[in-house]
Amino acid sequence: MRSRKPAAVLAAAVCGSLALAGCAGGPSAAAGKLSDGKVVIGLLNDQSGVYKDLSGPNSKVAIQMAIDDYKAKYGAKAVAKTIEIVTADHQNKPDIANTKAQEMYDRQNADIILDVPTSSAALAVATVAKARKKLFIDVTAGTTALTGRSCNKYTYAWAYDTAMLAKGTGEAVVKNGGKSWSIVYPDYAFGQDMQKSFTAAVTGAGGTVQQSIATPFPNDNFATFITKAGSTTPQVVGIMAAGGDLINFVKQYNQAGMQSKAQLAVGLMFITDIHSLGVDQFAGTSFTDPWYWNLDAKNKTWADKFLAKTGTRPTFAHAGNYSAAMNYLEAVQGAGTDNADAVIKQLDGKKINDVFLRNGQIRSDHRVVHDVYLAKVKSKDQVTEPWDYEKIVATIPAADAFEPVSAACKM
Amino acid sequence: MSAFVQYTVQGLAAGGFYALAALGLAVIFGVLGVVNFSHGACYMLGAVAAAVLLDVLHVHFWVALVVVPVLLFLVGVLMERLLIRWLLRLDPLYNFLLTFGLSLILVDVVKRRYGVSGLPYERPSGLQGQLQVGGIGLPTYSVFVCLLSLLVCGLVWLLLTRTRMGMIVRASTEDADRTRALGINVGRWVTPVFGFGIALAGLAGVMAAPFRAITADMGGNFVIILFAVVVIGGLGSILGAVVAGFLVGLVEAYGQAYAPTFAQVAIFVLMAGVVLFRPAGLFGRDETE
Amino acid sequence: MTQHVKNSSSTLGTAELVTEEPDAEVRLPAGRRRSPVRWIMLAVGLVAALALPWFVYPPVAMDIAAWALFAISVDLLLGYTGVLSFGHAAFWGSSSYVTGLIAIHWGVPFPLAILGGMLFAMAIAVPIGYLSVRRTGIYFAMVTLAFAQMVYFVANQLSALTGGENGLQAIPKSFFGIDSVQTDPFFFYYAAIGLILLGIWAAWRIIHSPFGRVLVAIRDNPARARALGYNVDRYKIIVFVLSAGLAGLAGGVFAISHGFTSLQELDWTTSGKVVLITVLGGIGTLWGGPLGAAIVVSLEDRLTSSGFEGTDIILGSVFVVIVLLFRHGIWGTLADLVRRAVKARQDPGD
Repeated sequence: MRSRKPAAVLAAAVCGSLALAGCAGGPSAAAGKLSDGKVVIGLLNDQSGVYKDLSGPNSKVAIQMAIDDYKAKYGAKAVAKTIEIVTADHQNKPDIANTKAQEMYDRQNADIILDVPTSSAALAVATVAKARKKLFIDVTAGTTALTGRSCNKYTYAWAYDTAMLAKGTGEAVVKNGGKSWSIVYPDYAFGQDMQKSFTAAVTGAGGTVQQSIATPFPNDNFATFITKAGSTTPQVVGIMAAGGDLINFVKQYNQAGMQSKAQLAVGLMFITDIHSLGVDQFAGTSFTDPWYWNLDAKNKTWADKFLAKTGTRPTFAHAGNYSAAMNYLEAVQGAGTDNADAVIKQLDGKKINDVFLRNGQIRSDHRVVHDVYLAKVKSKDQVTEPWDYEKIVATIPAADAFEPVSAACKM
Repeated sequence: MSAFVQYTVQGLAAGGFYALAALGLAVIFGVLGVVNFSHGACYMLGAVAAAVLLDVLHVHFWVALVVVPVLLFLVGVLMERLLIRWLLRLDPLYNFLLTFGLSLILVDVVKRRYGVSGLPYERPSGLQGQLQVGGIGLPTYSVFVCLLSLLVCGLVWLLLTRTRMGMIVRASTEDADRTRALGINVGRWVTPVFGFGIALAGLAGVMAAPFRAITADMGGNFVIILFAVVVIGGLGSILGAVVAGFLVGLVEAYGQAYAPTFAQVAIFVLMAGVVLFRPAGLFGRDETE
Repeated sequence: MTQHVKNSSSTLGTAELVTEEPDAEVRLPAGRRRSPVRWIMLAVGLVAALALPWFVYPPVAMDIAAWALFAISVDLLLGYTGVLSFGHAAFWGSSSYVTGLIAIHWGVPFPLAILGGMLFAMAIAVPIGYLSVRRTGIYFAMVTLAFAQMVYFVANQLSALTGGENGLQAIPKSFFGIDSVQTDPFFFYYAAIGLILLGIWAAWRIIHSPFGRVLVAIRDNPARARALGYNVDRYKIIVFVLSAGLAGLAGGVFAISHGFTSLQELDWTTSGKVVLITVLGGIGTLWGGPLGAAIVVSLEDRLTSSGFEGTDIILGSVFVVIVLLFRHGIWGTLADLVRRAVKARQDPGD
């Protein structure tokens, strides 16, 4: 006869645990409450990967600068007397971003998350922000979906989007004589969006797109695609790859001797890309930059402060995080609370002119429009100090730079 | 037509990297029975070493082509002496797992030290621009990679067929027991052969340095394709590794040129086909079934 | 070919390394009492599983449970059949997508969605298994790796369905309208852990069955198994499909728990991670999976939260040490020590 003892032991264990679980309702009961008495700013970005230099740990410094400036401005009248920054590394992966965002909101009581490079990660965080009803200001990712079909009232896009890049670079290059284009793009959501935006911008400005060549993503061997692109002898080759793939492409493009044959226009490029590959490889390339540290005295002053704290010049992401944090704190100040809905009321429609945003305004779709800049990469002999890589050719005013509010956005 | 020639040359250039690295992998497997998962990481180390040597010691590309493989040879010797040899008597899957763990470490060490943004590298003098061959413009660099990899493979072939070490390598690859039975000390060659295999991966890395972004992750996808190459060529076959390497490079190039969406999977479809219809690989000998 | 390669023509030479002795277990006639130690261990394991979200952030606890089952599915092949699949992410990942899509588009209670994902994983395991078993040993590992890459590619191509690079977003947790389960990860854990435990129980049943005995025979000496009349390939395919089902079950739970899935779950690094977890915990032991998962998932969580860089250096080094020195894994090594201590106590004369 089978002993009943083992079954009894098991049953007791199960009942015991369930009873324990039933009591007290579980340790997560505390999650979801706003952190009273303090404001917690979450910084979620790439701390160890391809966008580490673009934003990375130095964005924490930028946010701290904003906190310091906020406290200096309001002194004893500051609503947010205790402000903390929590950081996490999402490694440019949407699954990690998803998890870390939830943790930040739940476990660390973050009231707002800033930054989040890489479009897929940003979209994941936007979904979490909506579910948790807490704020998310995206600075470094460029997908138009954030203010399009994936828009929600808790999500803001602070710095740029791919449509703006296309309009800026595409139109400006065509106007400057680069009328015939070959576009090379990575065959995934971002690349496809860029290809569509650039095609629209180029043809809209009177140019022609001779061919659009899709490449696998990710990819490190572009030789055949470069050959294809050059085969119709375009005036401009537009490359829509970003990050590591862009570096690969440019290296091989120059290797193939294409630099002298066609102008290179880059869809999405950051000053850190120029730094990593070297100015001479990018010399003469056109791209659109949301912000440049050496644009004028106001920017340079801030950049000097940043340089003193970090030893390097700021990218647009650093300045954007500073601006986003600063404006968030101002909104908290105005609302008198860190409750998300109250803060949103303060932010919506606001006009902003600070070190990062010139003629800036927060639109109804939560995209921040502002002046952006068409830049051309200097040649090596024109560079006067490290990071002095860009020659600002034109300023694109806020009204022209961005696409109008998308019908796909229903908040 | 000229486009086709260009794609062919580019395919042979891409294939050159695969062939060199796969040659190293095949030689290591033939003599040691080790499937080296860290082969991609070693390829990456070759490129990183070239970049670091340039930055710190101003060693240029042409010198690096010689210096870096020697360095990687030493790295391989270290790997074998310290780690690999303890598992040689066991099933190759253990060394497969060991080298997998090793690749995680190597990649992360490089990431910590150099970040992931990519290290800058020069464009080697004399390899820029295009060559006009029969009225068709071929990137000089691609032609160079093609020729150099063919040359090195040829030299290795000579080594294998004309020298004593080569003979021992080939004999051990065919049948290590009988080779030992003939009184030949196979064990003596294990370490240098492993080092040599790693050196080949490193050579591929140096050659790639001006051509590809030098990042810690550059070996990850590379090693997966290498596995496809050696399965297609036949894991024990040295000739198979080289031929399959060039073949895969061509498949990649033609795929990208004529059917880009399928280019990525074409290699694995080819591999699946080989597994189905010729399990030992194109040149392999089916003794292990 | 060298001697080593001849070994690989059999299966993974784990025969001498596996510490569990399922044969001894199975020979017990039904009704005979099993060792009380086993029951105690089971009870402890159950309590640990049920108490976990109290000590660990609930979503992380769910991850541990999911990876534990995933590792067990790999161990079913590696430890008990002697074949290493290095492409198991194909099943974990594809199930996570199918589960997510069912949950999003049909809004059924999540166990049904997970069932759908599991069946899908088993379905694609049939052709993959059929083609892969033509090779053995290291070839099998490389071929499964290649097939997993193909699945990754297909998922990327079908980006309209899968979301491609962006991943599949906003997967709902639907559970008969019970709000606490649907919104609070703590209660969700208790709703989902049953599925995981069911999967583990299924693995246990497979191993401790006549079918499982044949698997072990195949692991130890496939030529002999064949000589005894067993269709080795067919057994391998069957266990491959079952293993894929368990991996799919785990992957489905993972997707619902996160509310999100992405191409990462199909990536070869995920296949590598589960192999790492399995070997770390101890192959050929059912406890190795949960132990390995608990260690790796908690370690990763702790390290990434503290901003530590170099998680892979730690994991890789631990893995290298395990493969070199403690091939039985942590559980196996502990079991060895206990076994030796018990034996020393029993036969002091030796």
